[in-house]
Amino acid sequence: MKPPLQTHRGQKRRALLGFALLFLVCAWWLGLTPAGLLPPDERHWERAGSFFAAALDPAFDYEDDSVPDDAPPLVWKACEGLLLTLRFAFGAMSLAVPAALVLGFLGSSAWWPEPCVPRLRFLLGAVYGGTRLLMSVLRSIHELIWALLILSAVGVSPLAGMVALALPFSGTLGKVFSELIDEEARDAAEALKAIGHGPVQTFLVGIFPRALPNLITYAFYRFECALRSSAVLGFVGIETIGLYIELSHEEAHYREVWTYLYLLVALLVIVDLWGAAIRRRLQSDPGGCAA
Amino acid sequence: MNPPDKTTFDPARSERIAILRRGRERSPFLAASGWIVLGAVVVSWLASRPLLGRLSAERRWSNFLDFAGGLVPAPVRESGDWSMALPWAGGLLADGGGEALLNTLGIATAAILLAAAFVLPFLPLASRWLSRVDPCGVAAGRTGRMGRGFWFVAGPVVRFGFVLARSVPEYLIAFLLLSLLGLQVWPLVLALAIHNFGILGRLGGEVVENADSAASTLARASGAGRAGLFATTIFPAVFNRFLIYYFYRWETCVKDATVLGMLGLLTLGKLIARSKGFFWDRMFFHVLLSASVIVAGDLVSTWLRRRLR
Repeated sequence: MKPPLQTHRGQKRRALLGFALLFLVCAWWLGLTPAGLLPPDERHWERAGSFFAAALDPAFDYEDDSVPDDAPPLVWKACEGLLLTLRFAFGAMSLAVPAALVLGFLGSSAWWPEPCVPRLRFLLGAVYGGTRLLMSVLRSIHELIWALLILSAVGVSPLAGMVALALPFSGTLGKVFSELIDEEARDAAEALKAIGHGPVQTFLVGIFPRALPNLITYAFYRFECALRSSAVLGFVGIETIGLYIELSHEEAHYREVWTYLYLLVALLVIVDLWGAAIRRRLQSDPGGCAA
Repeated sequence: MNPPDKTTFDPARSERIAILRRGRERSPFLAASGWIVLGAVVVSWLASRPLLGRLSAERRWSNFLDFAGGLVPAPVRESGDWSMALPWAGGLLADGGGEALLNTLGIATAAILLAAAFVLPFLPLASRWLSRVDPCGVAAGRTGRMGRGFWFVAGPVVRFGFVLARSVPEYLIAFLLLSLLGLQVWPLVLALAIHNFGILGRLGGEVVENADSAASTLARASGAGRAGLFATTIFPAVFNRFLIYYFYRWETCVKDATVLGMLGLLTLGKLIARSKGFFWDRMFFHVLLSASVIVAGDLVSTWLRRRLR
């Protein structure tokens, strides 16, 4: 018999080999060849050359001479695009977080009364299952597809963009919130139940405050994702920085594209670092700081 | 003796509560962040006028009715017989739907495997525990000025590289790469791989930081180098945790690969975008198909992750 460590190593080796084979199968199916990693012809080489050369010389003024003189400066327009991107992200999260809190509560079992009569347990089980199914449906459709569906149904509007982002995000947030709530230690809740508190009171006082730092941390992480998705909404016609990038790219104004890209990346990096700082502070104080 | 009546006002108890309240831990940074977020939310809503766009309510309602009516499969709309829906769906699957489905799964799988393979060599460089002059806190011989300088910048540079890679949306990377590499699958695979390289770098970095340090300290004290330490003491110990993250990201990749097809390559996103405006029923069928793939991917990934824990 092989010693356990040997068996363990064999399993890892088989897994790695399996992954390599799986990649080869995918590459064969998709027609991926090393030659495809390079531009296919002269025209694409030229385009790639001008695109990357523009990275070193981003535009501070419009490349298009037909832009009227009284138009706002390019950098101002880019900042406006970033503000619009932020607007959709904040608006969507302000809808998604309350919805996710309700879904997270209904999709968790931490607050269920104990002991529970069979009829009530069945009812709670139905609510639990229904909520989890709803969350699954909400997050299984990508935000861009939600945007297409909603814009097709009711036309372009700021609310449509926010709702398109908020729907899948509330599903994802709700699922994670319910899991965080269920994983929370229940000692305080048990003590509260023992002195006669009801299930909702026990949840609000004994479980929710302890889960709050983790909920905030995750909600902020999703905000970072919402910001990226909001930028991409520009590609389906909603006015965010993505739309400006697409339009400048279509006109082959690559220096303008790089200006927008640099500013977008700077914003996303700042928000990423801000999120990391919030996570560090919340994790250093498991009880949660009084913010 | 009777227990004290807690319903009556007790100044001493109130004072104790006030002292506890004053002494609680506060974070000005978190408080400021909270106020900034609240202010931004208020401004976002105030700046979103007109909230419902410029279309009149009647026009919006008529658009919605057209859209909702068009969701019913065309043969069912014409005949009123729902048994026609199944052959219609089978026809759509045979007419590109099945191929798009497999392409979506193939792109997601190839991308996550590529990201996973490329991120591994960077993890020891990103680790605060290994990427320093004295890895694991064990000094071993003298390091020249160049070496010290290298180890001073290596960690922050790699970690910042991860931040950059994950900050650019995959859709945007795919859009730009398609114009440079032409209409083929590589741009989609690369876009997903680059974005997930950044995310796996961050998640994998956290796993490496939190790995049990006793074995690596011992190996270092016995003379092992950084790469050897990572390969022999850390990687085997955190292998399952890595796999959990890979499966979690694969599930997200399936969702993202679906929409990347909207850029013109045959995944479900292309079929959805192509049907928009003319064939709402086909569009809705492909949306449901993509949702079922994502739910299936989610279930497979959850099952695998549970088995690996």
